[in-house]
Amino acid sequence: MTSPFPAEFKDRVGETRTYRAPEPIGAAAFRYFALAVGDDNPLYRDEEFATSVGYSSVIAPPTLVCETNQYADVAPNEFGYAGHDWGFHIPGTRLLRGGNAYEFFEPVTPSDVLTVTWTIADITERTSSAGVPLLIILSQAEYRNQDGKLLVRNQETLIMQPVGSTS
Amino acid sequence: MSVDWEVVAQGGTSVPPLRRVIDQAAMVAYAGATWDWHRLHYDADFVRQLGFSATVVDGQVFGALMAECLQDWLGPHAWIRTLSFRFKKPVTAGATVRCEGESVSSDDGSIAVDLRIVVLDDSDEVTATAAVGEATVIRR
Repeated sequence: MTSPFPAEFKDRVGETRTYRAPEPIGAAAFRYFALAVGDDNPLYRDEEFATSVGYSSVIAPPTLVCETNQYADVAPNEFGYAGHDWGFHIPGTRLLRGGNAYEFFEPVTPSDVLTVTWTIADITERTSSAGVPLLIILSQAEYRNQDGKLLVRNQETLIMQPVGSTS
Repeated sequence: MSVDWEVVAQGGTSVPPLRRVIDQAAMVAYAGATWDWHRLHYDADFVRQLGFSATVVDGQVFGALMAECLQDWLGPHAWIRTLSFRFKKPVTAGATVRCEGESVSSDDGSIAVDLRIVVLDDSDEVTATAAVGEATVIRR
């Protein structure tokens, strides 16, 4: 069967996009996230505890920066989504998240002003075992603070497939 | 109770499981906390058009649960160095999930862990696997 995905998609490998947060991430963001997921670890909310185990201040829950759109400062799209988006939408397909791989280098602290650079690392087409055509988009995001220090790296896999198909 | 790092690093130690009910209120709180207001997570009419029976849990919360599970288990001096996960099945509002796993043998002094997010029924029996993952944790 012919590919349902435009051939020019693959020309976008190497494309990058950079976002700089308009303000420091702030301790309230850590507390809000921890409260929302039900994580009561004092590392994320108790300054005295966090410094007693060697941190300079409270730290962010590890996965927070990879999950939040706070840094992006973009308006919501038609689906209400207000984060980084490559714009790979084509009629008759849907885009699902396949998974993420995080590497944590340094703790994120309240005074960090994030600069986040997304790169399209690879785009490959394959056919699922059920015969469904899939487009696999591999992106990478690097999260740095105002000193240029690399805090976290995130590799994200997106899977595009025709609507109604089951892979 | 503190964990014996050397024993865990040999592999075969179970991760103390973490059980969570993810209801619509928790999903709204998470959407707010992550600035992710996608209609998938709260708009019942919108998700029905996509063929879902109920609003869809943002899968990234499973990464947060895995991290919580590891940090609670290994303590405040543990540093999660890597965490990866792959989604197996979408989860909808009201689901009860459990994060579970076990350590696997590691030869560099770190702790390596295999993790799963499973979906439970009313009797806490596993009905599906929502996500699988791996992590490495070091001491800082």
